[in-house]
Amino acid sequence: MMGRQVEQTRVVGTSVPRVDALEKVTGAARFTDDLQFGPDLLFGRVVRSPHAHARIVSIDTAAALQMPGVRAIITGADTPGFIGLYLRDRHILATDRVRQVGDPVAGVIASTEQAAEDGARAIRVEYELLPGVFDPFEAVQAGAPLIHPDLGSYDVASFLYPRPGTNISHHFRIRKGDVDGAFGRCDTILEDTYRAPQIQHVPIETHVAIARWEQTGEVTLWSATQSPFAQRSMIAAAMGIEPGNVRVIGNYIGGGFGCKAGVTMEGLAVAMARRVPGRPVKVRLTREEEFFCSFVRQALVAKVKIGATREGKVLALQVEYYWDGGAYTEYGTNITRAAGYSSTGPYFVPSVMTDSYCVYTNNPTGGPMRGFGMPEIHWSIEQVMDRLAEKLGMDRVQFRLLNCIREGQETVSGMTMHATGLSQCIKRVAKDIQWGEKEPPSAPHKLRGKGIAIMWKAPAMPRNAASEAWVVFNEDGTFNLGVGGQELGQGSFTVAAQMAAEVLGVPMDRVRVARPVDTRYSPYEWQTVASRLTWSMGNAVRAAATDARKQILDLVGRCWGETPADLDIRNGEVISYKSERSVGLDKLVICGLSMPGDRELIGGPIMGRGRFMPTYVTDLDKETGQGTHGMVHYTTGAEAVELEVDTATGQVEVLRVAAAFDVGKAINPELVKAQIEGGVVQGMSSGLFEALRLKNGEPLNSSFVDYRIVTTLDAPQEIITAVVETAQDDGPWGARGVGEHTMVPTAPAIANAIYDAIGIRFNEMPLTAEKIYLALAHKA
Amino acid sequence: MLSRPGLPSFDYVRAGSHDEVVRLLVTGGPDVRLLMGGTDLLVRMRDGVVRARTLVDVKHLPGMRTIAYDSAAGLTVGAAVTMNQLASNADVRAHYAILAEAASAVASYQVRNRATLGGNLCNASPAADTAPAVMVLGGRLVLCGPEGEREVPIDEFFLGPGKSARQANEFLTAVRLPPPRQGARGTYLKLGRNREGDLAVVGVGVLGSPSSEVPPGYAFSIALASVAPVPLRATAAERLLAGQKPGGAAFAAAAQLAAQEARPIDDVRSGVAYRRAMVESLTRRGLETVWRGLSAASSGRGR
Repeated sequence: MMGRQVEQTRVVGTSVPRVDALEKVTGAARFTDDLQFGPDLLFGRVVRSPHAHARIVSIDTAAALQMPGVRAIITGADTPGFIGLYLRDRHILATDRVRQVGDPVAGVIASTEQAAEDGARAIRVEYELLPGVFDPFEAVQAGAPLIHPDLGSYDVASFLYPRPGTNISHHFRIRKGDVDGAFGRCDTILEDTYRAPQIQHVPIETHVAIARWEQTGEVTLWSATQSPFAQRSMIAAAMGIEPGNVRVIGNYIGGGFGCKAGVTMEGLAVAMARRVPGRPVKVRLTREEEFFCSFVRQALVAKVKIGATREGKVLALQVEYYWDGGAYTEYGTNITRAAGYSSTGPYFVPSVMTDSYCVYTNNPTGGPMRGFGMPEIHWSIEQVMDRLAEKLGMDRVQFRLLNCIREGQETVSGMTMHATGLSQCIKRVAKDIQWGEKEPPSAPHKLRGKGIAIMWKAPAMPRNAASEAWVVFNEDGTFNLGVGGQELGQGSFTVAAQMAAEVLGVPMDRVRVARPVDTRYSPYEWQTVASRLTWSMGNAVRAAATDARKQILDLVGRCWGETPADLDIRNGEVISYKSERSVGLDKLVICGLSMPGDRELIGGPIMGRGRFMPTYVTDLDKETGQGTHGMVHYTTGAEAVELEVDTATGQVEVLRVAAAFDVGKAINPELVKAQIEGGVVQGMSSGLFEALRLKNGEPLNSSFVDYRIVTTLDAPQEIITAVVETAQDDGPWGARGVGEHTMVPTAPAIANAIYDAIGIRFNEMPLTAEKIYLALAHKA
Repeated sequence: MLSRPGLPSFDYVRAGSHDEVVRLLVTGGPDVRLLMGGTDLLVRMRDGVVRARTLVDVKHLPGMRTIAYDSAAGLTVGAAVTMNQLASNADVRAHYAILAEAASAVASYQVRNRATLGGNLCNASPAADTAPAVMVLGGRLVLCGPEGEREVPIDEFFLGPGKSARQANEFLTAVRLPPPRQGARGTYLKLGRNREGDLAVVGVGVLGSPSSEVPPGYAFSIALASVAPVPLRATAAERLLAGQKPGGAAFAAAAQLAAQEARPIDDVRSGVAYRRAMVESLTRRGLETVWRGLSAASSGRGR
């Protein structure tokens, strides 16, 4: 691990332009659906369940098989294996029963997408309806319909604890300190229940996958994915293919936000392609399907009890989370875990009791979404902290400064907190939003308010989530940087290139990021999730570049008879500070060097290798959720909001948002700023507008007509961003991730500002104009 | 049932004349639909709500894309004039500002490049943003059918959601508006769930003008969108204003009446209580906005 000293850098820490900027702004960049396969290409469409819970009685494909253009049809009989990231609880196609509206039941392969659709519509499926359950709290009650009777037989990760015979697929517990005793010492205790609905990621690019089975038994999958390597292993396991025979190619992604992590629909393309060997089969989701047939953000019911002394010190917290995991919780189970081990939010609380339940329902399948449970739990934490401060008569900023977690304190899961600039973030946003000053509203029918919320988030992943990278050179001294992490708009390729250029002493235009990510040729990367690339992949990139650099300096040192410590690489040339000699990289990275005199050749093609795995992470105890190093680190931050509420309509106008995050080290400050702005806007969207409206599991608004998201006209008029840099000991140049975090505090900060403006609390997202107006009318 | 991944197949016919359009409508029956901007029609065909075999394109026929203004005759807007065309037209902005305002409230900018005034009205959606504006301006719809042209006042045009006085063998060629009332001021207030791109949760059009025909000296027209099976004139509110001195008290009372006149429903966009309350809020705000304009104009003349 690196020390905390500040290093001098040339490229790292500067806002170089994105390496993909030109091709993206000109439209030249190729996304998965742009790939051309010629006349061989076939299309697949999927028959989906119209019922939330039913037994499949029969599937009649006879008429469909006669339809023009239809080549083959698959059903659950073709996909008997189980698939899932942490809990293998689903099939690629439903076998005996469907558990959500939209569950895939059959697949039609045809010459055109329309012919496949017509074929799908000609398939007759007979269902026997089963009682459904649509609320996580109801689903855990005795007598609730059992959605996965075979839960006890599913393969599951060692750190998850399903409860067979119930709808609980994971129960994460924190037992820390004497909670009852601590509540007894509290002067003020608050209890409340908060709710967050299902929302969707709504990437511009919907899911798309093309699969082809080769005669050799190899399968190639082109997919719009955050997880080429995880798809390789998950699909191989589900379909009984050797992982080495699955090749996944991931091109640029038109937005992911988590819904393109793991596997959702990609197995369908592979299963269909098996029936037409040698022919590529393309499956793409319509926007309507995207809304409920990939992942949604899990809904949450959070019951919170918290207590503090009259001096304002929080002593005790008791939390119950009921996560609506939907029909399958193969991925969502780990959100439940992450929420549990972060359930205090970024505060020091000595006594904590947390029960975080992942619950099956017949709602759309939940999965990872930007924040991985943190926006949902901070919705409750940050409002209850506001309420507590108010009840104690304390300023909301001062209350947070008093209780926020500091270096050396023990976190909720028993880890000693590393260095963090959270207090600085709080102070910074308070200053930037002019905390304590109250401007008059802009019109008589408006009310103005300010709110603050703070956050923390650790990358949620298994302990063995690894990264690899390599560096290979071209004859001109440029080099190719191999990474397995995906570029989904966040700038991962750019920061990886910056890191390699920094170490190897070359200008940015000397670096080529080897893309697309291809599991056959690219180095391993667990998944592009958890805001972990800059940190984890960055460590691997730095290691690979350092390895190449060492080989180069060793080579030149040997040739010149100098010690590598006297050598450096500057602007693509190896130089000696001692002898003042220099040689261009192009002269040595492929063909080596000639020794003086006898002309002996030394060296040869340089190849740098690097890897990273957080081997120091420990397990958490099953009963207490405690461990010495249960997660790698926490990124922290704060946001403050100023807004106006129109009392005649309930509409909210977000005037300003101040945001500050401790990113350890901003490898590219402009990209950090872009992440903050994007997160604020997405957080605002979830806070004010977004909810997938479900009626007995059936989505009522699965299109942009009625699922509204923030537009540029709704976005805050001003977003003031600040970066705090408290170096992370396990990060490259001290960097931590800062992708998801930026949307975590926005919604609760808005709720707190609305309370400041109108004196009304709302416990359930989103805070629509209708909800606010009706509450105002009720109050009046 | 989920929507299709693309449009179902259909025949496209570029009509050569008004007569050909009518002939195709008569012979084709419900299988034939007219293609204007397509911003609703094509979406509904993809959704399977509309099943058309033949789309007849009429946008290029003479007069369909023309905006003609004459101070004596008023304004004639071709049915295929787009929302952005309408919103940026100098005559419309100068003499029928409420119509320009309503046109620019429709959907989003890109959609407004395609969406037409005729399409917006002929869909007969209760949420049509241009309907309240055309209603308060006293518009008439020019329909072309087997017997030639006829004009229908907009107040008689809307019959129910998706239903209008347009016969199956007719098509809309133009919207005619009478010459603007002297000194008129109008505004269209649209409430969406967010600022841009939404359908109206509630839309309120208000037009006011100096008038010697009513005792207070000012006449007001009010029309509402999205709060009844059809776009609606708030006639009780209008009558009240015809008998009361303009100002805060009268506007508040009129807004209350308008809210009572509305017959909103609960749907995924909004509930009854909020819609009704918003009719009141927006009507009041619209009246106050219009009144500020009228007062400023009259004090300007007084100087």
